[in-house]
Amino acid sequence: MKRLTTALAMSLALLLMLTACGGDDTTTTSTAAATPTTAASATPTTAGSSDTTMADVPEFAGTIKIGAAVSDTGTYAREGQDTRHGYDTWLDWVNNEYGGIKVGNDRYNVEIIYYDDEGDSDTAATLVEKLITEDEVDFLLGPYSSGLTMSTSAIAEKYNVIMVEGNGSSETIFERGFKNIFAVLTPAGNYTQSALKALADLGAKSVVIAYEDAAFPTSVAVGAEKWAKEYGMDVLAVETYPVDVSDVSAIITNFKALDPDVFVGGGHYKDALLFVRAAKEQGWAPGGMVITVGPSNPEFVTEVGADAEYIIGPTQWERTMSWSDEWFGTPEEYAVRYEALWSEPPSYQAAESTATALALQLAIEAAGTIDTDSVRQALYDLDVTTFYGPINFDETGKNVAKPMGSIQIQDGVINVVAPAEAAVAEVRYPMPPWSDR
Amino acid sequence: MDLFLQALINGVILGGFYAVMMLGFSVIWGVMGVINLAHGEMIMLGAYFAWFLNSNYGVDPFVSVLIVMPVMFLLGYVLQLVLINRVVDRPILASLLVTFGLSIAIANLAKLVFTADLRISDTTLSGAWAFGGVTFPVTKTAIMGVALVIMSSLHLFLQRTRTGKSIRAAAQNKQAARIVGIDINRIYALTFGICIAITGVAGAVISPVQAVFPFMGTPLTLRAFTITALAGLGSIPGALMGGVVLGIVESMIGIYVSGIGTNLAIVASFVLLVVILVTRPQGLFGGLRPHEEPAQI
Repeated sequence: MKRLTTALAMSLALLLMLTACGGDDTTTTSTAAATPTTAASATPTTAGSSDTTMADVPEFAGTIKIGAAVSDTGTYAREGQDTRHGYDTWLDWVNNEYGGIKVGNDRYNVEIIYYDDEGDSDTAATLVEKLITEDEVDFLLGPYSSGLTMSTSAIAEKYNVIMVEGNGSSETIFERGFKNIFAVLTPAGNYTQSALKALADLGAKSVVIAYEDAAFPTSVAVGAEKWAKEYGMDVLAVETYPVDVSDVSAIITNFKALDPDVFVGGGHYKDALLFVRAAKEQGWAPGGMVITVGPSNPEFVTEVGADAEYIIGPTQWERTMSWSDEWFGTPEEYAVRYEALWSEPPSYQAAESTATALALQLAIEAAGTIDTDSVRQALYDLDVTTFYGPINFDETGKNVAKPMGSIQIQDGVINVVAPAEAAVAEVRYPMPPWSDR
Repeated sequence: MDLFLQALINGVILGGFYAVMMLGFSVIWGVMGVINLAHGEMIMLGAYFAWFLNSNYGVDPFVSVLIVMPVMFLLGYVLQLVLINRVVDRPILASLLVTFGLSIAIANLAKLVFTADLRISDTTLSGAWAFGGVTFPVTKTAIMGVALVIMSSLHLFLQRTRTGKSIRAAAQNKQAARIVGIDINRIYALTFGICIAITGVAGAVISPVQAVFPFMGTPLTLRAFTITALAGLGSIPGALMGGVVLGIVESMIGIYVSGIGTNLAIVASFVLLVVILVTRPQGLFGGLRPHEEPAQI
């Protein structure tokens, strides 16, 4: 009997250990013993199309190695997944459909090496150093979140390796004079601009701001304060909260007492859930709630249901937008492709990740070589419109060409409501009490 | 004045929320001397369980408690028999390692099963009651209610029943308990089962107000540490008081310090921890386990 329980315990422990270490083929939980897994082999095949196109694919002259440390576990696990899926959507397309990156007259196969940064900026920096020195990648793609982009881009700069990213929008990333960081997304300071303008036009007079104490939300909040004043609104209070917050009721209690017209919440997906539930449970319904990251993700409506109604969120990209390109087509065509691969609609984090990889590819093709200096110059010279929007980098590496949109959840549908030229619906303002929806 | 009352109410309710989350952690530590680093993951499992029942079968999280409790009890019972029991009498490091490993394994397993998507469950007990100038958040008040019910039943169980007395005996003096014929292994398994059941229930009832995701556990385990140190090992009134003290401190700082209040509240909770550890290492309220031999490492 004793022997049996011992054996049982041992096997259970072994099982648990196996699932922890080997269960996910792109996860490495330990930094020290990290072993890379390449996404190239694990890429899902596009149904139907791969067999026919395989025959047309020419011989590859070689492989371009790209590295990325992206959260698979930790606080940014959800957003990290979108980021990987975005990169892998491009990878699948470039290798299997497009026929590899064109460098001069040759075609190159692409391999992406992923590590799990666990949402920790020190871990991310270590892993990027490992990608550069041990895996000897040619280029880097960015991690998810501004904080992690801050730390990893410093390593990229140190080793003079180009990092193109699409998920770190804090202005501070671009204020350090680095020459190897390029971002396809609109900077964080402009996130709330179109929403605040629309709300001010509808008569909103005062704003309160709460933001997570991290790089990206801080930039959002600083920007929100600036734009609110610009559009003639009073900023009544600005509050911060820590990354691992589990209760925001103190902030909401304070804000409720101030009775502002508009609430701006700068944070990540988790915080959007917390704010909506906390506002509801304190019985506080301001005229408008503008919350970053969460609302524009289709999952948000599924999770919070009717409480998501009227919530406004900035968006880098929506499938209803009117951009188009020769590679992925329109945003809608991109979304269909993405759904076929991952069986869920793309969030904007996924789309901008695909656009990130696409920008790198276009620069390599324009340069006609994978030499760092030539590709960097090609990135500076890049001026294209993609399914994600216009891409044109300034001297700091920011994309200055793309405007930021705003969505509002209306009858369970994510509708673009601002800026006016991209809107498909009117902003609904003010928001009714929680009980009336 | 209204703001002060509101801060107090928020704090007390937050305290109930903390107390129910950490009770299991404190009792396991008190009875067995095992620091369960996988405690937060147990909350996470309870929360996912409730979310699963909620999103697939529309069961209210406060009702699903009836299903979550027995299942989590069973999980705890088995876990103790096959795994934890092997490290109970070993140096504290062994139990730390085992439970730490367990926490990593469970978190990653949850990620495979439930993906990293953030979830939140729906409850009919939502919205707010307003009385004069103050607001009672319905969901969190209900959580407080569940916390009080659980704590008083556990208290009665430990004080009045034969099994409860055996558990306390095992906590106070294992050798003597053995001599009078208490089956220590069974008692330990029972204790672990009960504690995990309570913890699972805590997870279930907080699932409508917290974002549920595979890696939510670690900060919760840290918080459980703080409150246990405040409260004293395994003391049930202590758990409630410790939770409420911390809740009120956090809520007051959050409301009265503008700008960085919520950030500062976290700092305050750890400062409080250090102060308590230095001045009253047995916790504010004593506990199940007499303050005795230093940990052997």
